[in-house]
Amino acid sequence: MSEINSLDLNEFITNAVSDVFDTMLSMEVESVAAGQPENYNGGHIVGTVSLAGKILGNLNLHVGEEFAMQITAAMLGMEMDEIDGSEEIHDVIGELCNMIGGDLKSRLCDYGLTCELSIPSITTGKELKIEPRGWDRREEYGFSSNQHTARVEVFMKIGN
Amino acid sequence: MALKVLTVDDSKTIRMIVKKAFKNYDCEMFEAENGVEGLATAAKVKPGLIVLDITMPVMNGIEMLGKLKEEPGLKDIPVIMLTAESGKDNVMQIVKMGVKDYMVKPFKGQDLIERVEKIMQLAPKPDEDEAENRANRYFSQVEDVAVLALPSKVTRPVTVEVESDLQAKLKEMAEAKMNKLVLDLCKVAETNVLLIKLIISTLQRCQTAKIAIRVVASAKQGEELKSFQETSDIPVVNTLAEAQTAL
Repeated sequence: MSEINSLDLNEFITNAVSDVFDTMLSMEVESVAAGQPENYNGGHIVGTVSLAGKILGNLNLHVGEEFAMQITAAMLGMEMDEIDGSEEIHDVIGELCNMIGGDLKSRLCDYGLTCELSIPSITTGKELKIEPRGWDRREEYGFSSNQHTARVEVFMKIGN
Repeated sequence: MALKVLTVDDSKTIRMIVKKAFKNYDCEMFEAENGVEGLATAAKVKPGLIVLDITMPVMNGIEMLGKLKEEPGLKDIPVIMLTAESGKDNVMQIVKMGVKDYMVKPFKGQDLIERVEKIMQLAPKPDEDEAENRANRYFSQVEDVAVLALPSKVTRPVTVEVESDLQAKLKEMAEAKMNKLVLDLCKVAETNVLLIKLIISTLQRCQTAKIAIRVVASAKQGEELKSFQETSDIPVVNTLAEAQTAL
């Protein structure tokens, strides 16, 4: 339990998100207060990866549909109207989530908390809410870029 | 010959990024979504390079790499691993498996190219327009007839180019089921031995390829051709329209 609480997750996640957005999307992100009201204009996409091993965890990346389209266009080097449907958007959000989760996994392993990373999954909906239960630590970090916000949630507990 | 590059990644996004990274190079790209498909594609196309993700469903990259190394015909293919995990243990595991290099995600396409160029030379992609223009510098098409128009001066380099282009053109015509060709000498300013040899070789090649051919030349050129023993019997017409009718 104390191992989990001593982790500087803020630094891990902030560095990972900045690096991924800068390298893959050429987008600068700024940290913003988490938990502020978000307007997803009806479309809400959540990418999720799970960690399992000495530590158990979930990482969720929340973005609105419009920001997801901007991200997809930037990642694939195309215009937004060239995006070939939601499958392409989900793949990009899943891959971003995999990269942020992969970086977190590496940091955890460096602390001796060895674990495996799942392949990403995607949840979409309108006004959806994910209610975590039974975790030892829960953190939430907000980021803004191009007048949009993204939110990263991390849930953790000690595994076997 | 183009380098065959196989990208094995469950993410279409990453496969597209890899494909774009190689777009300026003479490469033929192949894709697979997991290790099982990757092994099958590798066995089929025998790529010169594999870009392999680690975390994939069905069969992950580590397992695919292990199986690849067990196959005598595939074990020497250079592999660059892609991983979202930069932790020491992960990197050590990859290095021990005998990969040529690895890339930690996130990465830019140019970073991947730099890694590849450390292990092999990438040839720039040939300019398709330039290649097409070069192929068509002597040839044009009038309805169902291919026209080979020789330039004003027929030199040795010109004969080499024409013979090379003619070989490709005859193959193209055979595939397109075209069988009519006109050899247009109207622009040729001087009748020399090289021209005579080129006319003869063109006629022979067309005969072999079962292509009907007519020579278009001015009246003066027609007379000059008659003065050479090798071309004295060749029927000559004076206009393209006459040649089309004769064909």
